[in-house]
Amino acid sequence: MWWGGRGHSFNIAPQKDNPELGLSAPKSIQGSGMPEPRRNQLGSCLTSGCLSGEQILAWAPGIRKGLEPELPGTLICTNLRVTFQPCGWQRSQDTPLSSEYDFALVNIGQIEAVSGLSRVQLLRPGSLLKFIPEEILIHGRDFRLLRVGFEAGGLKPQAFQVTMAIVKAKAQSSQGQQYAGIILSKAGQSSASRNPPIPLLETSEDWETERKKQGARDWRVSTVNERFDLATSLSRYFWVPKRTLDSEVRRTFGHFHQSRGPRLSWHHPAGSDLLRSGGFCTASDPNKEDIRAVESMLQAGHSDVVLVDTMDELPSLADVQLAHSKLRTLCQPDSSAAEDKWLSVLEGTRWLDYIRSCLRKASDITVLVTSRVRSVVLQEHSDRDFNGLLSSLVQLLSAPEARTLLGFQSLVQREWVAAGHPFLTRFGETTASEEAPVFLLFLDCVWQLLQQFPAEFEFSEFFLLALHDSVRVPDTLTFLRDTPWERGKQSGQSNSYTKVYTPGYCQLPAGDSINPQLSVWNWSLRYSNEQRLQFHNPGYDPESCPDSWLPRQQSSFTVPGPPSSVWLFSRGALTPLNQLCPWRDSSSMLAISSRWFPRPAISSESMADQEWGLPSHWGACPLPAGLLLPRCLGPQIKLWKRCYLRGRPEIQMGLLAPTISGLQDELAHLQELLRKWTPRINNS
Amino acid sequence: MLGKGVGVGGTKAPKPSFVSYVRPEEIHTNNQEVAEKEVALHLLPGEQLLCEASTVLKYVQEDACQHGIYGKLICTDFKIAFLSDDDSTLDNDVCETQFKNKVIGENEITLHCVDQIYGVFDEKKKTLFGQLKKYPEKLIIHCKDLRVFHFGLRYTKEEEVKRIVSGIIHHTQAPKLLKRLFLFSYAATAQDKPVRDPQNHTVMFDTLQDWCWELERTRGNMKYKAVSVNKGYKVCERLPAYFVIPIPLPEEEVPRFQGHGIPIWCWSCHNGCALLKMSALPKEQDDGILQIQKSFLDGIYRIIHRPPYENVKTEDLSSNFLSLQEIQSAYSKFKQLFLIDNSTEFWDTDIKWFSLLESSSWLDIVRRCLKKAIEIAECLEAQNMNILLLEENASDLCCLLSSLVQVMMDPHCRTRVGFQSLVQKEWIMGGHCFLDRCNHLRQSDKEEVPMFLLFLDCVWQLMHQHPPAFEFTETYLTVLSDSLYIPIFSTFFFNSPHQKDINMGRENLDIQSKPLNLLTVWDWSVQFEPKAQTLLQNPLYVAKPKLDRGQRKGSRCKHHQRQLSLPLTQSKSSPKRGFFREETDHLIKNLLGKRISKLINPSDELQDSFREFYDSWHSKPSDHHGLLLPRIEGPEVKVWAQRYLRWIPEAQILGGGRVATMSKLLEMMAEVQSLQEKIEERNNSQGALQAKAPSLLRNSARLSSLFPFALLQRHSSKPVLPTSGWKTLGDEEDLAKREDEFVDLGDV
Repeated sequence: MWWGGRGHSFNIAPQKDNPELGLSAPKSIQGSGMPEPRRNQLGSCLTSGCLSGEQILAWAPGIRKGLEPELPGTLICTNLRVTFQPCGWQRSQDTPLSSEYDFALVNIGQIEAVSGLSRVQLLRPGSLLKFIPEEILIHGRDFRLLRVGFEAGGLKPQAFQVTMAIVKAKAQSSQGQQYAGIILSKAGQSSASRNPPIPLLETSEDWETERKKQGARDWRVSTVNERFDLATSLSRYFWVPKRTLDSEVRRTFGHFHQSRGPRLSWHHPAGSDLLRSGGFCTASDPNKEDIRAVESMLQAGHSDVVLVDTMDELPSLADVQLAHSKLRTLCQPDSSAAEDKWLSVLEGTRWLDYIRSCLRKASDITVLVTSRVRSVVLQEHSDRDFNGLLSSLVQLLSAPEARTLLGFQSLVQREWVAAGHPFLTRFGETTASEEAPVFLLFLDCVWQLLQQFPAEFEFSEFFLLALHDSVRVPDTLTFLRDTPWERGKQSGQSNSYTKVYTPGYCQLPAGDSINPQLSVWNWSLRYSNEQRLQFHNPGYDPESCPDSWLPRQQSSFTVPGPPSSVWLFSRGALTPLNQLCPWRDSSSMLAISSRWFPRPAISSESMADQEWGLPSHWGACPLPAGLLLPRCLGPQIKLWKRCYLRGRPEIQMGLLAPTISGLQDELAHLQELLRKWTPRINNS
Repeated sequence: MLGKGVGVGGTKAPKPSFVSYVRPEEIHTNNQEVAEKEVALHLLPGEQLLCEASTVLKYVQEDACQHGIYGKLICTDFKIAFLSDDDSTLDNDVCETQFKNKVIGENEITLHCVDQIYGVFDEKKKTLFGQLKKYPEKLIIHCKDLRVFHFGLRYTKEEEVKRIVSGIIHHTQAPKLLKRLFLFSYAATAQDKPVRDPQNHTVMFDTLQDWCWELERTRGNMKYKAVSVNKGYKVCERLPAYFVIPIPLPEEEVPRFQGHGIPIWCWSCHNGCALLKMSALPKEQDDGILQIQKSFLDGIYRIIHRPPYENVKTEDLSSNFLSLQEIQSAYSKFKQLFLIDNSTEFWDTDIKWFSLLESSSWLDIVRRCLKKAIEIAECLEAQNMNILLLEENASDLCCLLSSLVQVMMDPHCRTRVGFQSLVQKEWIMGGHCFLDRCNHLRQSDKEEVPMFLLFLDCVWQLMHQHPPAFEFTETYLTVLSDSLYIPIFSTFFFNSPHQKDINMGRENLDIQSKPLNLLTVWDWSVQFEPKAQTLLQNPLYVAKPKLDRGQRKGSRCKHHQRQLSLPLTQSKSSPKRGFFREETDHLIKNLLGKRISKLINPSDELQDSFREFYDSWHSKPSDHHGLLLPRIEGPEVKVWAQRYLRWIPEAQILGGGRVATMSKLLEMMAEVQSLQEKIEERNNSQGALQAKAPSLLRNSARLSSLFPFALLQRHSSKPVLPTSGWKTLGDEEDLAKREDEFVDLGDV
């Protein structure tokens, strides 16, 4: 076989038994024309890191570039991932996957092969490499970049083989979903190391504990969806007002889109309740009793009810997807945007604009929840995307507990995973064309908060990056399913009331088995101890956020008859509503699309101004401690460079952050030194 | 409080002065008497009140509620001031005095700081100038430090309105004579010599000795000499009395073209290469004169091309770099983004923020300056070449680039004293026309170019990217930029040292009995109390450890090896053309990942070596006491938020911003220090070096991102809380306590 480039031709020994370069045969490594002595030695070394069911398809020695320092090592393509294994690096038994050197095949966005000065080939599925590459560039969909230069001289066929193997493996893997049965062996030790554990909210006990923690005394855990017969997209358990019977819940939820009726999201320590709900089913025709039940659930015992039209002034899913793909194009290391046009191209992506509207809205809702004791209902038609985003942001802004490492993880678990955010569809892994990285939009919003309030969060930017990078790693089920039902089905708990773990049950036909106990929060799967230490923000100042900023006094749960005031929050202002539900007469406010409301003139004031009658920016303004009000001016919404520009070398050098961690290192070092000194002094 | 008049000692009884409205005794001696007065105007020595108007409404924030406070609007020959009728204004507030400027108060604008004046007539905003036929109901003043004031005149008596409006317009906008600057009446009245801060060793470069020291410090004295040929400004009025030229250049050559065409030394690099500047010879039509000019220049070039001098590369700044018009128009668009009249207007522009910012092209200009400076640094450092900056008068872009290069290459210039000496050397003695460029005399708007501000912005970019490398803070840069408009300091109010000297009477001592006593801006105690001055000091900066001589030499060598990114032997002119194989290879390795075809352009050799220098510097860990290069990619050049956003209330992040990190950092530093001290004690050696951390920042729970400027924004009226919502949140006492806590923190 001849592969010829202009001016050069290379003769590559044809593969005897395997013209497909070994993609179909697991033992291809034996058949490939690698130098014998080296192979044996390396082969055992390489396979040692393999997961069960993983097969090495091709490998080639190379040097990782772009990041300092340049690392010599081996580029390996398996049927699950592409790995760069540096010389002398051993996979730790505790971390079977590597966040740094692994690229899951599904994460690969674009592959480029480079040779010489000017030959660059973009490798699409099925395309054939036209030359022997000197270097391969793998662009991750998570914005990471892997650049490996191949050693020249005698080994060039390997470079070719590994490149082609990656292209093929990627093409075949795009439907394959997860690493099969990889982690079972590690499950025991890693669940032990999950300390303190993040409640996965798969049992009613988890919900009950969480409810007590929030002090939501007038709420209870409903078991009406225990068998997912009410709605598959809903979690098995959720919170409803104490006085509501399960039969009522079943009846009323039927009048909401996909049966996602109003449920408690978060109980504010001062008494307000934040609810989330799907859209009203306009087609259904509830009787009077049902309407009253719906109303009382929305009212949640408060006399003041605000319905928030979630989608108002927020981007649509398609907008988010478009913005994200534009952002990706801009942040490619070879982006063609000129430096002096960078800003307007960045603006043109609208990504920052969308972040800003999310933050602004979340900050307005936070004020609504804080300023008075009331029930605030987030209503989104599907209740699975922006409701989660807003509700999580509101909690981050008002509850210091949510800003801790543990609190944030359980927040994501509750408002995104358990609430049925369709992760798989949103990340484009299913055939449905509703791809939209809403969750990544959320992470960026959180990063903005971290920028604006560097001392208020226990977790660091590095942690957000880890979460960002986790969404496409097919190791645990957390982000790999669309609904709690599917997740439960897979993990073998769909119909069991008891928590008894039956090993036979989770055996899937294909022989896949995933330990149900593992979740994305088992960071030790992919992050070493040192890396996990970096999840902590050294600038966190827990003293500045008191545990509870308010006395938890609360009026007892009484239904005060019809609510005294009902508002619709739309276009940044409160509009009075005649009734809560749209069914009684057709002229209801909600039946009209809220897009018709012009934004009132006073909207230039923030919600804080309207609610409190004082601009929140005044110096020593007595905002409640622990409440954060982010600022959303053009110059204050920034690009998350360390995430999106990771492919660019200049971003690798941190700016301010190393100063803090450097100081912290120095501190530790000095303390150690002092410890060493102390006994010596005492002895002398 | 008033007793702390600027430059006035409390002991000597000041002479009564006929120009002052309030007699000096009243100002300086009797605090009680002052306190009894209802509204006390703080006048500087020599300051005269010109006109005033009462019951003026100062809008606190221009939004729907039109909230304001009543008071008196006053115009003196130094400032416009607003005095609130309300006694309880926060003038005496503890937290506010922390970073209070002693010369210019919160509600004061110096006449030179006024940028534009607008009047509102029937809701319409018009620019005000010249004689007015109709007087506005509201006055809007845009300041050069980007503050915006709104004064309502609806309740003011008509004749007072006429007087104050026309007074303000006249005194801020009419062309002035130099001698009429407030500077002179102040200097004539203020009797006492300013106490020279012993810590303040800013080199003024007004003596031969100063230049000799600088030559010695940079080891330029082997090849360059300080000359006094221009003593008494006999050769040229643009040049300083003393400057430095190459040794072999005969001093007689200097006067040939009044100093034009003479290479003047700016700075020497550690490898002996020097940064030189030259003002171009006048353009002539006559062939004969051209011939003479050419042979003169040839002679000069022959001298500086011969060994021991390195190869010279000439950078002609007047032809292929930025033009002054570009800078001027960019800044005037740029500043409009921050001069915001009301929040509605603000939100309108906010949507298009990035494209507006880009279309102003100010950041691009900053980027181009930084890039040019890196190119020059590359020539000096990596290619062993001398650089000769050429400009018409060598007093605009020359000043900017030569000082920027020095900030990047000379760690001394990143200390406060070093930076001040640098400004003194390159800008003040370099003859930058501050008077014209700031348009202090209002004589020509065309000449107004914010050159010095551009320089500060470039330095800010460097500082923002490498915070621990600078001894001073961004607050320092911000207040320095504000000081451009305070006419009690002589620093920024002359076009050249010559102009300063003749006006001060230093030139001809016999005529005037006594030279005027002018303050320099570097005496920061004039503007700030010692406590506030700590905010100008970067707590993260660690001074380079001082070693004894023998050691220093060794470490210096090592140091340079590390900071040099390219082999020094690789001279540009070397005939070795193995470029393609080796260097290009290296280059490709560095650049891959960027669009290959776009960047690989072997014909553009300069571009390549620049990129290689730039990329290889950035690929190594940076040394804060060595060469410092900024990032200049699109996302890296940023808006100097502190200076530009500080008066915009919408931009304030409560309890957030970099201040929050900073206080945490300080805490950790204190801990590191105390540990270090303990270890040192054990080691029985001398105490560790003590870095001063601003106490204002310590332990403060909720500062805002606009600190320290946000404090000045606090509104006087107590915020009204709707009790209904708050009852449940905690009683008002708690809130009050919390507020007190905030206020008191400064004292801790």
